[in-house]
Amino acid sequence: MAKKNKSPRLSGAPTGLASLLASLVCVLAGLAFGFVVLLILGGITMSQSGEEFTFGHLLATTWEQGFKPIVQGGFYSKANMMGMAVRMEILQAAPLIMTGLSVAFAYKTGLFNIGAAGQYTVGAFLALYCAIVLKMPWWVCLIASGLGGAVWGAIPGIFKAYLNVNEVITAIMFNWIGLYAVNPLIYQGGNGPMFNLKTTKTFTLKESAPQALLPTFNVNVGGKGYFGKLFMPTIGIFIAIGIAVLIWVVINKTTFGYQLKACGFNKNAARYAGINEKTNIVLSMTIAGALAGIGAGLFYLSGSKEWEPLVSTILPAVGFNGISVALLASSNPIGCVFSAIFISHITVGGGFMTAKLFPSEVSDIISGVVIYLCAFSMLFRGKILKLFNRKSGTQRKGDKA
Amino acid sequence: MWLLLKYTLLYAAVLTLVALGGMFSERSGVINIALEGIMVVGGLMGVVTINLLNAWGVPAFLGVIIAVLSSALAGLLYSSLLAFSAINLKADQTIGGTALNLLATALAMVIAKRINGSDSPKIVYSTNSNKVFNSANFSFRVGPLTLNWFLLVTVLVLIAAWFILYRSRFGMRLMACGEHPQAADSVGINVYKMRWAGVLMSGALGGIGGMAYIVPAVGEWNFEMGVAGMGFLALAVMIFGQWKPLNIAAAALFFAVFRAMANIYDSFGFLARLGWPKEIYNMMPFVASMVVLAFTSKSSRAPKAEGIPYDKGSR
Amino acid sequence: MADYVIEMLNITKEFPGIKANDDVTLQLRRGEIHALLGENGAGKSTLMSVLFGLYQPESGIIKKDGQVVKINNPNDATALHIGMVHQHFKLVECFTVLDNIILGAEPTKGLTVDRKAARKRVVALSERYGLKVDPDAKIEDISVGMQQRVEILKMLYRDNEILIFDEPTAVLTPQEIDELMEIMRSFKKEGKSILFITHKLAEIKAVADRCSVLRKGKYMGTVEVADTSVEEMSRLMVGRDVQLVSHKEEQTPGKVILRVENMTVPSRVHSNNAVKNASLEVREGEIVCLAGIEGNGQTEFVYALTGLEKMSAGKIYLDGKDVTHASIRERNSLGLSHIPEDRHKHGLVLDYTLQNNMVLQRFREPEFQRLGFIREGAVREYSDRLSQQYDVRSGQGSATITRSMSGGNQQKAIVAREIDQNPQLLIAVQPTRGLDVGAIEYIHKQIIAQRDAGKAVLLVSLELDEVMNLSDRILVMYEGEIVGEFNPKTTDVQTLGLYMAGAKRAE
Repeated sequence: MAKKNKSPRLSGAPTGLASLLASLVCVLAGLAFGFVVLLILGGITMSQSGEEFTFGHLLATTWEQGFKPIVQGGFYSKANMMGMAVRMEILQAAPLIMTGLSVAFAYKTGLFNIGAAGQYTVGAFLALYCAIVLKMPWWVCLIASGLGGAVWGAIPGIFKAYLNVNEVITAIMFNWIGLYAVNPLIYQGGNGPMFNLKTTKTFTLKESAPQALLPTFNVNVGGKGYFGKLFMPTIGIFIAIGIAVLIWVVINKTTFGYQLKACGFNKNAARYAGINEKTNIVLSMTIAGALAGIGAGLFYLSGSKEWEPLVSTILPAVGFNGISVALLASSNPIGCVFSAIFISHITVGGGFMTAKLFPSEVSDIISGVVIYLCAFSMLFRGKILKLFNRKSGTQRKGDKA
Repeated sequence: MWLLLKYTLLYAAVLTLVALGGMFSERSGVINIALEGIMVVGGLMGVVTINLLNAWGVPAFLGVIIAVLSSALAGLLYSSLLAFSAINLKADQTIGGTALNLLATALAMVIAKRINGSDSPKIVYSTNSNKVFNSANFSFRVGPLTLNWFLLVTVLVLIAAWFILYRSRFGMRLMACGEHPQAADSVGINVYKMRWAGVLMSGALGGIGGMAYIVPAVGEWNFEMGVAGMGFLALAVMIFGQWKPLNIAAAALFFAVFRAMANIYDSFGFLARLGWPKEIYNMMPFVASMVVLAFTSKSSRAPKAEGIPYDKGSR
Repeated sequence: MADYVIEMLNITKEFPGIKANDDVTLQLRRGEIHALLGENGAGKSTLMSVLFGLYQPESGIIKKDGQVVKINNPNDATALHIGMVHQHFKLVECFTVLDNIILGAEPTKGLTVDRKAARKRVVALSERYGLKVDPDAKIEDISVGMQQRVEILKMLYRDNEILIFDEPTAVLTPQEIDELMEIMRSFKKEGKSILFITHKLAEIKAVADRCSVLRKGKYMGTVEVADTSVEEMSRLMVGRDVQLVSHKEEQTPGKVILRVENMTVPSRVHSNNAVKNASLEVREGEIVCLAGIEGNGQTEFVYALTGLEKMSAGKIYLDGKDVTHASIRERNSLGLSHIPEDRHKHGLVLDYTLQNNMVLQRFREPEFQRLGFIREGAVREYSDRLSQQYDVRSGQGSATITRSMSGGNQQKAIVAREIDQNPQLLIAVQPTRGLDVGAIEYIHKQIIAQRDAGKAVLLVSLELDEVMNLSDRILVMYEGEIVGEFNPKTTDVQTLGLYMAGAKRAE
């Protein structure tokens, strides 16, 4: 009995378009839900504070101080001094593209990589270690971060392929194991070589390892640089986009991609055809892990943030937002670029909302709702395809198998 | 020593409750990865209820009962989102569950911050000795040992679960839905209703479990942490317990020991001298889970039809 | 006015894209055995599922004892004393026989299920009708024959008077079929009415009073069995005269291509072996058929042969080469092609395009890839050629998503792919299951053509007609062992049946 629902009976382009439309529906619904949440929050706060409270006022306030920042993201004028906010948006998009690719790539093979957060953590550790302790140039550190993530991704792959342990559970466990391993390694009771006692974070790359910083770039707008000297974004985003294209090619144009997709669609048939399922599972998870690790490298080698081993008792959110990115893009690598930019857009925007009225986590709520809707986006896709079907009059006779 | 026992029983109770919930859901055929999120929601509701009851001056004993019921209700309602998505819309259950986990933490943060009226996601519900009602209301002493009421709840739930599963009509039909829903359907059992029941039960138990985790041990909770992976540990307990109530309780005890050690390792002479950072202890339940899963997964026998959405019309 | 206990009038049932039942009328007299005849896909199972409440018809009414009734679910059907034994058993494998019989109708004592009372009733029913079962055995441990008896007891436990049997004989030996016929006759004597779905004419002749025929969802008519010949019923069923025997020329087999020695394969469900010490040979230019009732080890034999499962003992030689430990890919490259039993599970990646499926084993070859990149043009050309050669029809040609193709065309695609690899040994497992007559004829022709071209063919089939028609040699498999070898020219179905049931074995 087929695991999925019987998919609509069309091939190629219309399915792709339907997926895109379905994703748009999810996004719009998520934003709408977010708006309603903002209204409610705003209403509660305003009525409690005894401010002037009419529905019109509530609507206007929510729009101005809540929804507009989210929608405008890094381009929100009040916060965008010398392109600082836009830089932040670009900066956060790059690792998100990578974690999105990580989840998407694994998904093509039929695996759910919920371990991107752990792979990201290990990748970050190796990147920082290579930079601060080993004093390596940025591209070496980046490769190291990929290797770290690769190892951490391989583990759930091996457990699944050879020990039949569900990769979701393994990855979740190793998320926490990774976090609890990396933090003490950095901290080492205050004596860690990477640990700056004064700031309780890792040393800033600018001071301790400038050779490891990713190169930056600027954009000319009307004869002047758009970004101020302090706020130039790194080439990380271009690296991420380049890797996205590479992944797209691998999945769709190579024999390796053919095998991976076959395993993902029907592992029994893949076996029948002599495709080695076990090897492919491990390879797929390893590559997925590497992608997440590189994401961490792109972020921490930009020098904009340091790792705080004492505060980080939670898994990096970017690991889980990668799931939203991948699902929204229907696991299409190029789509991941766009969905990552979208999510980073609303997350940055969320930070600019008036905190007193609207906690920034509302963007996370929107993300969560979007994933929830994506879970049955196939349903949307099916309905949209049915519309196409009826219009072009290609209703077909069903299977008799 | 007594402290170790106290924490072990506490965590074992939490793990048992949540794992039993997961068992009912999966036995009916729905994979429930959202246990972590459900625990957060239940815990949040329980904490909020305590604060409210405090403010209204409700007597402690009644307050405990109301708070527990409210956390169960919250968990139940939250799990209905999973039920709707997985059963009615036949969506992917792993994705739906993950979504609910992410959503729960975000919601909890937003609500906690709102309640505090500040940017802090911590909720304090009992530190002042002024307040009539605090976490001590959940505990009672038996000699040198401090136990809490949730342990009693867990034991009752465990007995009820065994009875329901193996001796009642409902349990038999529930299991049929998770093993061979077409067979159940053909004898007139409503598979959709049964699966809803399974998921809602997991919601209620998960909610209580969340409260059991947060409340008795400490007086305040930072909701940014979620429930620190307990929901997922409960899944491992459920798998290790092979979806059987008594085995689950035993597995829960096993994992609880490791989890408890993270809390009290510095009071054990020889462990303190080792000077291991506390993260090693934090890691141990997860490492232990992996070791156990590695050895038991080859012969693991999950409910046959779990994870596969049931479609009446499919032939 | 005839006494009809059940009337289904003008029933129409649709699924997306297909009318499974199109204005069908069926009338069952009290106390009769009424056969429902039709090919695969004619709508018989659907009609009975409507009667049993599993589906709701788009239009039409059902009457019981002259009164219009609404059957919305199996509970309603049971309340009307209608029961059904399904073709694919609906039994919970890890439950006991007893629990399966009472599921959904459990007697209760207070809060608990009263298994003691249930057991008493089941044992009584079992003895009264001679249906031997072990109430405490788990379904996964008992034989297929006993599983069917459990399904029958399910009906009797609910005091059903109208009994529906959906293709009950597919899994039985000829002797067990006779026993079942006896049971049906004894039900009839008690006044029960029976509806009996089948596509086997001999069975209808043996036991049915009347027979209604469906073709492609439409009702063709009802005949009195005693007054109607097999040929007439067949013509109603198919719409034309069917060629019951394929034309096959004599061939002289050449050298041994496949030699299997003492193959033993462990079972996944039992502690016994699925295949016990089986040996056989297949030569160039001959079709050897592995015959037997489903579940006697044929599946595991083929899996071990192709590499999908591991043997615990034995050797396999392909054209003299020892392939016992070779991987699936190696065996394929040495000339072993496999038309699998389950085309959706193993044969195709349904979500791939047709062209991608055509190169499922060959995508690594230089013809189809360069430096790891797939040569899409070459793949499409190949797929186009095969589709044309083997009459594979699809909506958008080679770019069609395979899931949307009909079962017959999917199977033809697999056949095309496997044969075009020019194997030395072609293994075909139930190659015509679920197909319409046209596709069956076509595939039979292809298999014979391969044999005529000097290939070795190992055929595994459950349809005795197919076995007798196509084979040069027949090997009967029973409980994992090869119990007899026959020449179709010198044996008959009855003899095969005895061996298939384990009643006899060759020395």
